[in-house]
Amino acid sequence: MSAPAIETRGLTKRYGTLDVVRDVTIAVGPGSKTALTGANGAGKTTLLGMLATLIVPSAGEATVAGHPVQPPAPALRRRIGVLAHLPMVYEELSPWENLAFFARLYAVEGAAARAEELLRRVGLWARRHEPTHVFSRGQHQRLALARALLHAPDILLLDEPETGLDPEGVAVLDELVLRAPGLTVIAATHRLDHVASWSDGTVHLDRGQVVEDATRGSASGARAAATAGGAGEAQ
Amino acid sequence: MSATLAVLRKDLRLAWRDRSGWLSATAFAAISVLIYSFAFDLAAQPVRPLLPGVLWTTFLFAGIFAGAHSFQREAEQGTFDAMLLSPAPATAIYLGKALSHMLALLVIEVALLLLATILFSTALLTPDLALIVLVGTVGYVSLTTLLSTLGSRARARAVLLPALALPLLVPLLIAAVRATGASLGDPVGTAPWTLLLLVFGIWSSAGAALLFPLVVER
Amino acid sequence: MSASGAPTAFAAPAPRRPGALARLYGRRWGVLPPLTAVGMFAMIAGAVIAAPREIVEGEVQRLMYIHVPSAWSAYLSFTIVFVASIVVLWRRDMRWDAVARGAAAVGVLFTALTLATGAIWGRPIWGVYWTWDARLTATLVLLLIFSVYLLARSVAGPNDEQGARYAAVFAIIGFLDIPLIHMSVNWWRTLHPQPLIVRPLDRPALPGEMLLVLVISALAISLLALWLISLQAHAERLGQRAQSLQARIDRGERG
Repeated sequence: MSAPAIETRGLTKRYGTLDVVRDVTIAVGPGSKTALTGANGAGKTTLLGMLATLIVPSAGEATVAGHPVQPPAPALRRRIGVLAHLPMVYEELSPWENLAFFARLYAVEGAAARAEELLRRVGLWARRHEPTHVFSRGQHQRLALARALLHAPDILLLDEPETGLDPEGVAVLDELVLRAPGLTVIAATHRLDHVASWSDGTVHLDRGQVVEDATRGSASGARAAATAGGAGEAQ
Repeated sequence: MSATLAVLRKDLRLAWRDRSGWLSATAFAAISVLIYSFAFDLAAQPVRPLLPGVLWTTFLFAGIFAGAHSFQREAEQGTFDAMLLSPAPATAIYLGKALSHMLALLVIEVALLLLATILFSTALLTPDLALIVLVGTVGYVSLTTLLSTLGSRARARAVLLPALALPLLVPLLIAAVRATGASLGDPVGTAPWTLLLLVFGIWSSAGAALLFPLVVER
Repeated sequence: MSASGAPTAFAAPAPRRPGALARLYGRRWGVLPPLTAVGMFAMIAGAVIAAPREIVEGEVQRLMYIHVPSAWSAYLSFTIVFVASIVVLWRRDMRWDAVARGAAAVGVLFTALTLATGAIWGRPIWGVYWTWDARLTATLVLLLIFSVYLLARSVAGPNDEQGARYAAVFAIIGFLDIPLIHMSVNWWRTLHPQPLIVRPLDRPALPGEMLLVLVISALAISLLALWLISLQAHAERLGQRAQSLQARIDRGERG
């Protein structure tokens, strides 16, 4: 049994007396694919924000890849890739320039080869020198995917990854992330129809609390267990 | 620091691509010098006593508008979060942004000094004045870069940023205007204005570099 | 307002062991109002009756007993804003944000009072309401900085933690800017022709009775300031809780 890739204990984010995320205790094994479901405002984005070290928890603790989420956490940040609502790319820069910039921030080795590989995979290689603002929403999201994967993270935090993606983009997302062996994925989603096809566990949030947890607390590589079969190890 | 250089290069490239922000700031600066000329009748009066004030108020206003623009774009596109998600230290990101902002503002300032030299036939591109402008700009930019981060998420940011920045900049404005006056040969007394400018620069850059990592935590 | 029993908005899961400071703070409603009242009566009696009439300036000089303590209380309030802002950044505790906001409001009030009493005094003595004296100018800048602080803080909601942190950063910079403002404004004015009549309002050598009344006034107004700050901070707390309750209702929670 290997240690969980993501583990939280009593994780809480409080604004005033409102617990946007309340007492969330989950454990996600390395290589597992977890769907984070729940209505709008259930706290999915805040939970992901805390795991990504952008939002500091009010109470409780969390570790990602064995590192606590307290910023600054450079070692943790090197291991995670984030795909959010906003594409988080510079409109005035080309895909190539965007990736070159983030490669420098992450100190990626062999950045040019890595950027080329990713741009080819997401189908933007031919348009790598065009400014991003002429791109469609779907192309933006595909570039965002390339940015998130640039530094070869092994843990991916996705917030509604399908929104705005075109069919090719969904296929690329499936291939590079959702079905990629070895990658640990937590994806907030409300597209329940699609969830079953890629996830092997579900965490359902309601008003900031976990109401259903069907994750495999830890896994030793095999990804065979389907949603129903996942043994809830965490409470 | 490679992250600082990366942010600096990226921001300069963005400033060049999205010239509208800086071009409007430059145009604003040039126009405000003209407006001052009409308002204070600088054609008829001895211009020297008024010139330092005209120059520095113009620098301050132009810099605030241009600086806010860059942070607003970062916040809208989510790229600010993308930078924070990287392992690069927040202080390095801050330094990159402050340096790029400073370089762009210095370009505007030199252009403005050139314009004023021609308009008012006063030699303004002297080593003395270059030093004062440089030191003043360091103090100015370190503070406004930090405050732009504060303003980038607020709703009333367009109004809020100048209102936040200008009261804090009173010492800088006084020192810069007096030091500039001294270098133009005005009788401004013996107070060490350039030193005060330097102290302000060190104070604001140290304070901003320390506080920036705390500001970006949510 | 009972301090115990009622659920506090930020009840921590761990049992709280109140320190001496917290216990004193819990008793503030019993302690501050009577002390302030006694102090204010002593101050009025002292300033109006006991203190001698100033020979040169006449009755208007009695304004000093409000003017100078108001200025001190303003600085006291801004120091509280500064300290509370550091705690907001350090501990992320919104209770301290309420304290900072309350103290800033009271500080702005006393700064305005300082300027107003100074102007009323200045008219007969200096012949003008306002002059660009170094101290006046610095006080005005201070008033601006903390008014803008209140403005910036109010743009964000009462429970907006990030807004509170932003405002805290601004307050810290603003407070640390005060020495620089004083230095620059001092040099700015003193190196220029002074208005002939200008001299500091509080001269160092005060006769004994005047000094005694001034000390009593300073104590009384400081107590008043502390009481107002605690009231205002409490009001801010209630605002935070009201907004939280609203948010919970909107979310369909009970209790």
